[in-house]
Amino acid sequence: MLNIITCFKWVIDEADIKADAATRKLLFGRAGYKISAYDRHAIEEAVRFQEQHGASVAAVTVAPPSAKKCLKDALSRGPDSACFVNDPSFLDLDPSQTSSILAAAVRGRIKFDLIICGEGSDDLYAQQVGPALAERLGIPCATCVSKLTYAEDEKHIIAERRLDDGMETVLVPLPALVSVLPGINTPRIPTLKEVLGAAKKEIFNVALEELGDIPGPYLKTVEVVAAAMDRRGIRFSADEEGVRSAVNALFKEGVLSQGVL
Amino acid sequence: MDGIWIFAERQEQTLELLNPGRSLADMMGVKLAAFAADGGLAPEYIAHGADEVFVLPPLLPGQPLESYVAVLADEARKRTPGVFLIGATPRGKEIAARLAARLNTGLCSGCTGLHLRDGSNVLEMERLMFGGKAVQKVLCSARPQMATVLPGTFEPAVCLPDRKGVVVEVHSASSSEVRIVSRSARHREGADVTEAKIIVCVGRGVESEEHMERVRELARVVGGEIACTRPIAEECQWLPEEVYLGISGKRVKPDLYIGLGVSGQIQHVAGIRESKVIFAVNRDENAPIFDAADYGIVGDMCRVVPLLIDELGRLLKV
Repeated sequence: MLNIITCFKWVIDEADIKADAATRKLLFGRAGYKISAYDRHAIEEAVRFQEQHGASVAAVTVAPPSAKKCLKDALSRGPDSACFVNDPSFLDLDPSQTSSILAAAVRGRIKFDLIICGEGSDDLYAQQVGPALAERLGIPCATCVSKLTYAEDEKHIIAERRLDDGMETVLVPLPALVSVLPGINTPRIPTLKEVLGAAKKEIFNVALEELGDIPGPYLKTVEVVAAAMDRRGIRFSADEEGVRSAVNALFKEGVLSQGVL
Repeated sequence: MDGIWIFAERQEQTLELLNPGRSLADMMGVKLAAFAADGGLAPEYIAHGADEVFVLPPLLPGQPLESYVAVLADEARKRTPGVFLIGATPRGKEIAARLAARLNTGLCSGCTGLHLRDGSNVLEMERLMFGGKAVQKVLCSARPQMATVLPGTFEPAVCLPDRKGVVVEVHSASSSEVRIVSRSARHREGADVTEAKIIVCVGRGVESEEHMERVRELARVVGGEIACTRPIAEECQWLPEEVYLGISGKRVKPDLYIGLGVSGQIQHVAGIRESKVIFAVNRDENAPIFDAADYGIVGDMCRVVPLLIDELGRLLKV
């Protein structure tokens, strides 16, 4: 039986973040948290393997203890168990730390043939943790995967990678890691039964003391400010007169000119 | 610990990276080196600012480009560069992440700006976070200081045909457990959106593919290229993937961006924020695109687009 690990991140919902226009300070106010959208596709792909090949799926996350409710959310999406690698210091980790912590938590503790990660996280979108984790575990990896197939009894997977110059199909021997693109599947929405069932699933806690030495951080954030967006914000009505005024405004900007063709 | 290194999947990206690379090398008083998979490119890289060109050994049949991770790591351990810039293409991003893990250093992903901190050899690197809502500045405490730089961030380096440089053959062996089974090139339909002066962008508010005819007509009238949001390319598949704009797609800087039925999710806005003028049409008056737009019309696409085509067609005499 195939053992699969799927990694996910509990992130602040970026749609809830406001900015103070004058100071460019970010205002988190009552921003909610969510499972990073890219990671929902990773979880879904693991669960698809569970259904098609009888794989067992463990969802793993690295977070402070305050993120505990992410476990039920993740488990309601189908994994058999969750591994909560937590410590109050696991806040604003840099990608090298996250991948080192994940590697230390997984190594010798969770059996796996395949690790599935998302394309990046909604907050940092560094796109590093997947491939860096593969390096730290000494296993091969494939990123940008848009289709994943596994022939039972074979010790490899076939991954289709969607790259900027075309498609590349690769054969990856197991154990391996893949990071998947959102186009690979459509994550299901958990039913009430699945949400209730999540409470009965197994959760393993792993504490910082059990991880050994974690090197880094290597990146120091010296500033985070709201991206400047100085736009005029002028609106016109949707009738003929409004459209005429809008088109006039575009001409005045000098971005349209007669005889462009 | 010195030297600025550059690796990119393609020639044009290497030429772009040589531009900031040359400035940094001059300011830091160190050499600039570029990797080339094809030794034939060495003279061009030297003319564009490289002091050294490291020619990589050819890949074996079936080896993906990522097989160079082992080679690049070996060379970096041997020659200890201070800065390593890598082109942020999909393959480049994987290579950089794995290399940073092997070398135990930090990596600034999707870097959009590089500056030296005054009087030091420390790079201040800028990138977007929170889906493009915020700009993050980072410093790297280990060496090499690594960054993946998005294509198009810098202009190509200036060419000085008389420049002199050294070509070095790299002999470490590439290795990979991953094997390429097949490859298919993408056929580009239409022009490159990153080069377009005017972009007409389609979002989810364009409810059916039948309306695309109107969109094409508008693009034709203004002489623009058609682009879209990620769901239009990935889920609806009305348009090819290479024309979706956003933090994970193409980032564009046209003179005019016209958004049709684009809601303006921050991930999309991150890809269009460098546009000179943003004009949006959307039925939902609360759509966030209006906060990112210079000019907006709240209204139904089916009504507004024909009016736009008429008015623009009249004035542009198309």
